[in-house]
Amino acid sequence: MPPLDDVLLATLPVLLAAFALFDRHLVRACSLFVLFALTVALTWWQLGFAWLALLEVLLGAVLTGAFLFHALGIGLVRLTPTVRLIHLRDPMPWIWRRAIVHLAPVLVLLGMLMAALASLPAGESSLAARWSGLVLLGLGLWTFALHAHLLRRLLAFNITGTGIFLLLMSLVANTSPAAGQGLVITGLVVAWLGTALGALLIRRLAALEQHHEATAANGGQAS
Amino acid sequence: MIERLGLETTQLPTTGSSMVTLLAVGLPLLLGVVGAVYRPTTRSWPAVLVSLLALLPLLVLMRLVVTHGTQAWSLELGGLTLYWRANGLTLLLLLLTQLLVLASAAYAPSYLRVVVQARGKGQVWLWPLMGLLASSLSVIWLAADLLALYIGLELMGLSAVGLMLLPGRIEALTAGMRYLLLALIGSLAFLLGVALLLGTWGRLDLAGLASAVEPGPVLWVAMALLSAGLLLKAAVFPLHAWLAPVHGSAWTPVSALHAALVIKASFFIALQLWLVLTPGAVAAAWVVGVMGAAAVVWGGLLAWRADKLKDVVAWSTVSQLGYLLIGFPLLIGTAPAVAGIAWNGIWLQLLAHSLAKAAMFLAVGNLMLATGELRVSGLAGASRRFPLALLSFGIAAISLVGLPPSAGFTAKWLLLHAALAAGQWPWLVVLAAGTLLSAAYVFRVFRYSFVEDVELEEYEPVPLKMDLIALILALASLLLGLTAAWPLALLAMSGGAP
Repeated sequence: MPPLDDVLLATLPVLLAAFALFDRHLVRACSLFVLFALTVALTWWQLGFAWLALLEVLLGAVLTGAFLFHALGIGLVRLTPTVRLIHLRDPMPWIWRRAIVHLAPVLVLLGMLMAALASLPAGESSLAARWSGLVLLGLGLWTFALHAHLLRRLLAFNITGTGIFLLLMSLVANTSPAAGQGLVITGLVVAWLGTALGALLIRRLAALEQHHEATAANGGQAS
Repeated sequence: MIERLGLETTQLPTTGSSMVTLLAVGLPLLLGVVGAVYRPTTRSWPAVLVSLLALLPLLVLMRLVVTHGTQAWSLELGGLTLYWRANGLTLLLLLLTQLLVLASAAYAPSYLRVVVQARGKGQVWLWPLMGLLASSLSVIWLAADLLALYIGLELMGLSAVGLMLLPGRIEALTAGMRYLLLALIGSLAFLLGVALLLGTWGRLDLAGLASAVEPGPVLWVAMALLSAGLLLKAAVFPLHAWLAPVHGSAWTPVSALHAALVIKASFFIALQLWLVLTPGAVAAAWVVGVMGAAAVVWGGLLAWRADKLKDVVAWSTVSQLGYLLIGFPLLIGTAPAVAGIAWNGIWLQLLAHSLAKAAMFLAVGNLMLATGELRVSGLAGASRRFPLALLSFGIAAISLVGLPPSAGFTAKWLLLHAALAAGQWPWLVVLAAGTLLSAAYVFRVFRYSFVEDVELEEYEPVPLKMDLIALILALASLLLGLTAAWPLALLAMSGGAP
């Protein structure tokens, strides 16, 4: 029976990620994501990767969080979101074609991954990280497949990425931690850059759409 | 095959070669940043000069490799070791990258002056992103371990997305957002595959992995993940739908670079990983070959039916990439003699397509600027007004269709030869169908442009310089067919001295 704090550290990120992904209210979802990143940093700390914990706090929680809130139009001064908070088709209606095209790859991937991991032995300490990584991966991909709001997809991408990082470090913690840390640091930087670019794009697209609608409305009045 | 990739070499590198390589990788990025500060807005000769400067260390490296044989280095970073190598193939790809970046850099200032004189916002970012793209591509060609490949792949993907976003219009942003999400998902799949390999065998260098890996579920799942991520980024047949919208709204020089190089880099990594890790997976290689065959036919059909000029060229990329994928079953599990022919055919096809496709994008960009039309049918009457742009388009098309004496012809001939020697006749049918389809979509463009009874009312000829750059690239793809012995000799130069 593993100690209580291990179990707590493995389940807390998963629970927070699930709440962040399934909360209808996007501002709350983004706040939950920041909390999620902080608990992941705690997990890194507990696994003995201090540098990763530091980077996770800095890149994963602070900077990614800042860009996520920026995407919603929330800054230090302005507290009401300017971007549309829901997508009309979110989550997408369940039809067979979409289920086959979007969800089947996710399920196939998870099945393949379980099959491959079954043949890899796991130590007592890394088993919890491996399972929480797998669940995060599944949650993220599931949301990515079924949601159309761009911000929701960015959240899902970040959570999938974190799941992969946890899985990676649980696999390599005993054999080659240096190479694993190199990969995770690259991955963290890339995930942050991707989120930043995506957030700026969401803002720009929202502004252009508003402008478009405004000109269309003005044109309608003039004629 | 692994010795052809230059991964296993016994000799020590020559002194100074690692410095030259670092310079060859880093200089484009550095010059790109300088380009952002001193923007060449009025003339293109500074851009050309600076790009030529970036070529210098590459030429030195080339001399070193030609005289001393394959060079391999390792770079220590803390507890990490990154592996690098340069052989004939690497040099060829590096040279191709630098030359195409040079062509785009020469084309861009005039293009930007004509197209975006009013909105100058995106221009600042063009040069550093182009430099970053060239540097990350160089990393990919040179890297001999999975960490360096991952870093190169990510930098390339992000800079490519950034370049596609520069026009700033709503269509460009929508397509760019889709491309960003796809690229990110593709790299997550790649990372997961790398994680499985590292977790099982505890190393990332390709030469070491080649001797360590054992067939089993872990290897197959890892390869499936790696291939899926890379093929998504390479726009291979069932995963190709994102390509045309992305090109549709991008700037012409960016489109040329993307189709010629970015797509090829993912293909290069995938082929390298297959040859190193699963050299015996014949059935899986056939699956990839069938995907390639489907890409040749479906991409050709889409290009034939496309309404917009740029879509014709973009779908033709999907079709032409299919030929490269047919190389998988010809290389894996075949006799060494057959694999040798297919090897030459694949790289020659890659070179020919890159040059021809860049030329075609530039020519089409010129036609679109001159006529102000985006659609193929809008070209009516173009033959009398813009003979030079149509000439470049035609010469590039000769290579794409695969007519002699172009490099495209030589490459397809080699692939045909390999397919016959291996007894894999289905690929002959695919090659024939692909040739017919590419002839069909090329002649459709010509049919519209030779309509004589339409008077063009509004047209604005582009500067002669832009037409000449497209023409030079097209001629290069044609002449490469006549001088094919030179790249093939460079390819044949494996392990030791030539």
